[in-house]
Amino acid sequence: MDPIIVRDLTRRFGQFVAVDRVSFDVREGEILGFLGSNGAGKSTTIRMLCGLLRPTAGSAVVGGIDVSRDPEGVKRRIGYMSQKFSLYEQLTVGQNIRFYAGLYGLSSGRYAERRRFVLEMAGLEGRENMLARDLPGGWRQRLALGCAILHEPPILFLDEPTGGVDPLSRRHFWRLINRLSESGVTILVTTHYLDEAEYCHRLALIHAGRLAALGTTTALKEIFAGRPIVEVQAPDAVAAMRALDAMPEVEKTSLFGTAVHAVLRAAAVPPAAVGDRLRAQGFAVRGVAAVPPSLEDVFLDVVEKAGRS
Amino acid sequence: MRRTFFMVWKELLELRQDPKLLRMLLVAPILQLGVLGYAATTDVKNVPVVVADGDRTPASHDLIERFDASPYFSIVDIVNSVDGIDVYLERGRAWMALSIPRGYGQAIGSRTPATVQVVADGSDANSTTVALGYATNLVATYAQSLVAVPTMPTPVGQGFSAVGADAAPTPVGQDFSAVGASTAPTAVGQDFSPARHLGTFDPQVRVWFNPQLESRDFMIPGVLALLLLVMTAVLGSMGIVREKELGTLEQLNVTPLGRWQLIVGKLLPYGLIGAIDVFLVVAVAVFWFQIPLRGSFLLLFAVSLVYLLGTLGLGLFVSTISNTQQQAMMTAAFFVVVPMIYLSGFVFPIENMPAVIQPLTYLIPLRYYLVIVRGIFLKGVGLETFWKEALELLVFGVAILSLAAARASKRAA
Amino acid sequence: MRKALAVGRKEFHQIVRDRRTLSILLLAPVMFLLLYGYALNFDIRHVTFAVEDRDRTVESRALIAAFVNSGYFDLVASVHDGQAIDRLMDRNEIRAALVIPERTGRAINTGQAAAVQVLINGDNANTAAAVMGYALNIVRGASSSLLVERGLRPRGARLAPPVSAEPRIWYNPELKSTLFLVPGLIAFIGMITGAVSTALSIVREKERGTWEQVRMAPLGTTPYIVGKTLPYLVISIASAMAIMLAAMALFDLPMRGSWLDLLLAVSLFLAGALGTGMFISTVSDSQLVAFQIVLIVAFLPTFILSGFIFPIGSMPVPIQMVTLVVPARYFLVALRSIVLKGISAAAMWQELMALVLYATAVLALASIRLARERG
Repeated sequence: MDPIIVRDLTRRFGQFVAVDRVSFDVREGEILGFLGSNGAGKSTTIRMLCGLLRPTAGSAVVGGIDVSRDPEGVKRRIGYMSQKFSLYEQLTVGQNIRFYAGLYGLSSGRYAERRRFVLEMAGLEGRENMLARDLPGGWRQRLALGCAILHEPPILFLDEPTGGVDPLSRRHFWRLINRLSESGVTILVTTHYLDEAEYCHRLALIHAGRLAALGTTTALKEIFAGRPIVEVQAPDAVAAMRALDAMPEVEKTSLFGTAVHAVLRAAAVPPAAVGDRLRAQGFAVRGVAAVPPSLEDVFLDVVEKAGRS
Repeated sequence: MRRTFFMVWKELLELRQDPKLLRMLLVAPILQLGVLGYAATTDVKNVPVVVADGDRTPASHDLIERFDASPYFSIVDIVNSVDGIDVYLERGRAWMALSIPRGYGQAIGSRTPATVQVVADGSDANSTTVALGYATNLVATYAQSLVAVPTMPTPVGQGFSAVGADAAPTPVGQDFSAVGASTAPTAVGQDFSPARHLGTFDPQVRVWFNPQLESRDFMIPGVLALLLLVMTAVLGSMGIVREKELGTLEQLNVTPLGRWQLIVGKLLPYGLIGAIDVFLVVAVAVFWFQIPLRGSFLLLFAVSLVYLLGTLGLGLFVSTISNTQQQAMMTAAFFVVVPMIYLSGFVFPIENMPAVIQPLTYLIPLRYYLVIVRGIFLKGVGLETFWKEALELLVFGVAILSLAAARASKRAA
Repeated sequence: MRKALAVGRKEFHQIVRDRRTLSILLLAPVMFLLLYGYALNFDIRHVTFAVEDRDRTVESRALIAAFVNSGYFDLVASVHDGQAIDRLMDRNEIRAALVIPERTGRAINTGQAAAVQVLINGDNANTAAAVMGYALNIVRGASSSLLVERGLRPRGARLAPPVSAEPRIWYNPELKSTLFLVPGLIAFIGMITGAVSTALSIVREKERGTWEQVRMAPLGTTPYIVGKTLPYLVISIASAMAIMLAAMALFDLPMRGSWLDLLLAVSLFLAGALGTGMFISTVSDSQLVAFQIVLIVAFLPTFILSGFIFPIGSMPVPIQMVTLVVPARYFLVALRSIVLKGISAAAMWQELMALVLYATAVLALASIRLARERG
């Protein structure tokens, strides 16, 4: 049985529906990324799966345990790390590890072994006596991750784990995640950094509490099959965008940095033609090229469709 | 159980890292007891009095001397006419005024009864009653001394009877002597006709437990109880809310740490500090203030621990119903500590409270603890006397901790 | 000034959003007022007492009746052995006891003085003295009543002493303790809410890390202080006025002075309270420490050292010196004069001056420390 099975999971706060009938499965060793803007329902979903919040309706089975019926049982089998990092600032690195190991009831032999592992993983060997509050961002992040996996849980929940951390540390962090996944740990990560989504095996796009799309990045990008995306570089991007919108072949446009992405309705129109058309209208078009769809394109498209339905 | 141990260990580590807090928690009670112990007295002394001497004879000076010599009064000024006293009373420069009318000396000389007026500022009703009593008593004693009849000092105490419309001010003596006397209460002069007469009731007063009516002996055990309440309730109220604010509570909720393990894990370290505080303040009370500790210290210590169960429990409970530290502390201060101070019988007697409120006072652990603490200090009584109160403290402690544990749910509903 | 208002507006929004704290700030005074008005006073009532009547004659029963009918004493037990009284005293179930020995009635009828024992439970020193006075009064009254009943005169005809004192009570002839407790309540609430709110508000910024933004802002220290404290000043003043109005409506508190004078006194006191809070926030790193300091420096002194409950004159001299720096002490005197005696604020200038001095000192100290912290 899959480590995480979610069916029609729902959570209401009064009239507000934070999570609306979400269903998905996560396979063993898979990294599932939850992507969505703030307030879309990502954290709420994770908290329900961890037994921190009671679902209003639906079911979730984590590690073979029904989350609604036995939240405490779930907690023995999972690791959790949140954006707050939840370390005790006034304790040292070593003391934080000791504390969490104690909470999970690790025997002294296992503790020694896991301690070594976590210190090595986080790159904190020799720094056991540093106070947690004195650690720079990237180290704290890795220490928090380490504390979450001291008891070698088969399932890991990470809620925006890379908030406020420099890109280098973020990359290092993801390498650790991948290593864990390769060793068989099932991981569910929420993030709003689109570039991090590339690290995941599959992505779930959450919008307004609903699961708007689910699949590998390749599969997701398939939504643009038959709809090429053309990137146009022109000095007056906003005006160019409006001009493109007016063209019948163009489905929609959006600004990407200083360029404009235009989604064409059909593959029939060559990108060059679009560029010519613009030049005809007096725009100094610097470049026109077909670009492969990015996750951002996918996300915007999905959100827009979800908004319409 | 091991998890509880780790919670306690973590709390102690955190405390150690905050020396300012630690110092505060250990030093503050001693400091406060020091100041409060001296300040918390309901005795009335050095009442500022302004005198309007309309007579200015040796007789009036004599009376004024008596007032000045008394430890209860302190003459701030002597003016010539009654109009002059207004200013002093209005501005609070004097609480009482003694007005001696013109012709006073003459009346005394010619053995006609003379009256002086004693005006009191009623805006401080409590002290007024007592001060007025002392003043009328001083005048009465003075009167007795003028008439040189050997009468035994009336065996009474320091109190004063109500100033009701009908009650005549009763002379009460300043010394307390438990001597019986055969003087009729109001007769102050020679006795005459051997007519058929009736005897009188002759009250012999004895004050138990506190013959000097030394309010400090009574107050300090109360202050002790009060301080412990304030410290531990506030400390407890921070316990869980701080972790909530910082985000570590969520992490704890995701681990197998049970609710009771969390509560007890907070309770033990704070209880340790509370216990040290008990030790310190009792030491100050006994060695510095010389309050007699007639009962057993061990018993006092043990009961105090049970009391702390309740006060810390209250704090922890407040912690579970608050979202920020500020909310927790203000709730603890305004809705727990201060009402307890007022409703526990510490200063204001419970008998005076309306019938609706009196049952509420049974919910206040301070009330029971005060009885026990005063009992152990002043009366030297043991468990057999106040086992009921001790039991009530225990029940309260367990109940409030259970409430806190119930609210400290690991899963939001 | 505009910047101060901006800071003030933000603070105000934060206060309003924190429903719980707001309700505490508004409800607490009401609750205390009700407590004071209805539950708390020093009057002597329902004094529990026990009787051991070994005589059981008409005379002894008359004495007991005098106690019962006085309206102050509640007879809770009529016992027959001495041990019972011991137990009742120990357990605090009685605050007084009357022991009437045998032959009391006989002694009275044969013209002798009959000794009766009046035992007072000295456990509660506050009230024991008063209870004793009442009891003695009743005993003497019982003697006189007996005489009056039987148409006899007591031994000794000259009843009038050479000098007697006529008591008069000004401003509060009925000695309603409510009237004197309410000004104290205003002081207490004002100090607590003022000091606590401001102390915590700055420390909170430090703890949460928004302090950096404050340091960076192009804002002078004075406008910052003004802006921070303004909302609390407004709330506290509103609170104080509400207490006054409620006390006037519910408990017949007379307002004999001018409202403007009252406002002035309250504002000066509150300025000091807020300044105290500010200063405390500059010496604390965490909210817990700030709160504990507020307890020691504001809460307890206002309660114990201001003359509110315990008279200052009775305290040892060193402590009296300490009370000189407790603003509540001056505030209470001024408040009572203005409210209960109708005195003008100008006449109370000495007290008001003291409040101004305190507020200035404490705000200046806070300013200096803040300026240093902001670099």
